[in-house]
Amino acid sequence: MHYIHTLLPALALMLASAAQAQQPPRLELCAACHGPQGNSQNPQFPSLAGQPKIFMENQLVLIREGLRDIPAMKGVLDGLKDADLIVMARYFSEQVPVPQPGPLDAERFERGKVLARGMLCGTCHLPDYKGREQMPRLAGQHEAFLRAVMEEYRDKPGPGRDTVMTNALGGLNNQHLDDLAHFLSHVK
Amino acid sequence: MTRKLTLAGAVLVGLLTGCATSEPPKPQAAPAQPAPQVAAAQPAAAPAPMAAAMPAPPPPPAWQQGRPASMADSRLAPVAGKNTVTPASEIPLDKLKLPPGFKIEIWSTGTPGIRAMSRGASGKIYAGTRGLGRVYEISDNGKERTSRVVVDKLNQPAVVIHKGNLYVMAVDKALRFDGIEKNPNVAPVDMTAAFKLPPQQHHNWKYLRFGPDGKLYVPFGAPCNICALPTQEYAQIRRYNADGTGMEVIATGVRNTQGFDWHPVTKQLWFTDHGRDWLGDDGPEDELNRLSKTGQFFGFPSCHANGIADPDIKKDDACKGVTLPVRTMGPHAANMGLHFYTGKMFPAKYRNMAFVARKGSWNRTTKMGYDVVTVNADAQGRNPVMTPFITGFADPAANTFWGRPTYFLQMPDGSLLLSDEQLGAIYRISYSGKK
Repeated sequence: MHYIHTLLPALALMLASAAQAQQPPRLELCAACHGPQGNSQNPQFPSLAGQPKIFMENQLVLIREGLRDIPAMKGVLDGLKDADLIVMARYFSEQVPVPQPGPLDAERFERGKVLARGMLCGTCHLPDYKGREQMPRLAGQHEAFLRAVMEEYRDKPGPGRDTVMTNALGGLNNQHLDDLAHFLSHVK
Repeated sequence: MTRKLTLAGAVLVGLLTGCATSEPPKPQAAPAQPAPQVAAAQPAAAPAPMAAAMPAPPPPPAWQQGRPASMADSRLAPVAGKNTVTPASEIPLDKLKLPPGFKIEIWSTGTPGIRAMSRGASGKIYAGTRGLGRVYEISDNGKERTSRVVVDKLNQPAVVIHKGNLYVMAVDKALRFDGIEKNPNVAPVDMTAAFKLPPQQHHNWKYLRFGPDGKLYVPFGAPCNICALPTQEYAQIRRYNADGTGMEVIATGVRNTQGFDWHPVTKQLWFTDHGRDWLGDDGPEDELNRLSKTGQFFGFPSCHANGIADPDIKKDDACKGVTLPVRTMGPHAANMGLHFYTGKMFPAKYRNMAFVARKGSWNRTTKMGYDVVTVNADAQGRNPVMTPFITGFADPAANTFWGRPTYFLQMPDGSLLLSDEQLGAIYRISYSGKK
């Protein structure tokens, strides 16, 4: 009993500092585009809430070093160490995603659904498209962002881009991308 | 329904020009393949296609090609790499088991994605990466190691240092940094044109070594999991003069070698090779091969492992004329670096024995590999005996792993460095037991 009394305050202190340590650097800057708790309010910018932690960590490194060239992110991560990026990734991976899809077009949704099944997207992104490990959550992501990023993967392969995805999307035409993006943004 | 399934099967066979690998795949850019009429491996439960409105589905992703419809629900996917630094305190080295008298310790950290290493005369060590695109230089002051990035933003670079010059080869680039140990900021000589590198990316990340003949050896993998080769520039090992001239193809039918070494007695080239994916958990196994004659054929795409005919790329007498491996190395185990031990620190029985790092499987329901093994055979590759040397990178009960042993480097004192691509670390293996 006696030792619990001594330990508890120490434990409380540890927990408090752990909670504090989870507050990522530059959070306000992130929120300016990616929204509160990583739920983006602008369809051009991806939601980060609920993205897998490893996916976030690895992408943040590629973006910081310019290997993955995203003009809007230029300089934003400068000076941050890997450990900072890990804290960022953990924070966003722990937030609850609140999807805000646009109006539903049932026909496009259905076409996208069949396409995604035929392409076996769920092998990696999981059948509910919530992502895992290095593979991002697609369910409920902004349609415009999904559409743009899939086109990038398809048309601009190179270092820092996931060549698995480049290859997965290699044979798709623009309508395929439209339908896939529509479906994935609405899938629950 | 019957018609649909037949069609799906036909499409699948027609598409066996793609990619999957015992490595996390890095397939080629946008293949110009015609869109098939029906998605391969479409689950039976999928809604009937809306004939008029439905766009033709694209071919399956290259790394999934060769995957049978029966595995449509598989969730096997490439293992996640790690781009961030792992501090020494987060490396559970105490989980590793080695034979009595051997010790493993952390030698350096802070080099995410580190792969094959090469040591210069000054003791500086150079190493490449894959997705991270960096080349590292690691310096040792006798107490601690520091690292810097020599060059970055490359497409999966490998390195070797030879006569003081650092050779860097990426999928689409060949560079030479002359005298880099003395002149750390030297501008590279671009040798890309001389090497005539083929364009496909998949399995075309490099491994570089200079042979006993002073030539530069480099593999060009099959640009697919399983396929009839699109052109004859792939699935082979070549050697060049150091300046990129005098190219010779020395081995063909080599799907994806990730490491080689020369036998200390015969000076023959031995190399690891990864087996194809999506044929189930138990095969075909990876290979440890021996090149006893220039120009030998090692079987890809129609013959795998110790004589298994490929069910997709069929050929009569598929294994006729094929040089079979010294030993198979486990299904999907991803055997990587190969090193014949020539030092004096380890007990005498290890002299000239092959050490092989098996980075570990992805295309298998339970983890395989994630260890270092020795292969003890005679100089002609006869009577090979494979023995675990380091285990504990994976936890078989939980089917998880934490490290991926990848390449070796023998130090002047006879200790052996081992890179861990997953945690971006180098470990040092030494022996202090009885001899």
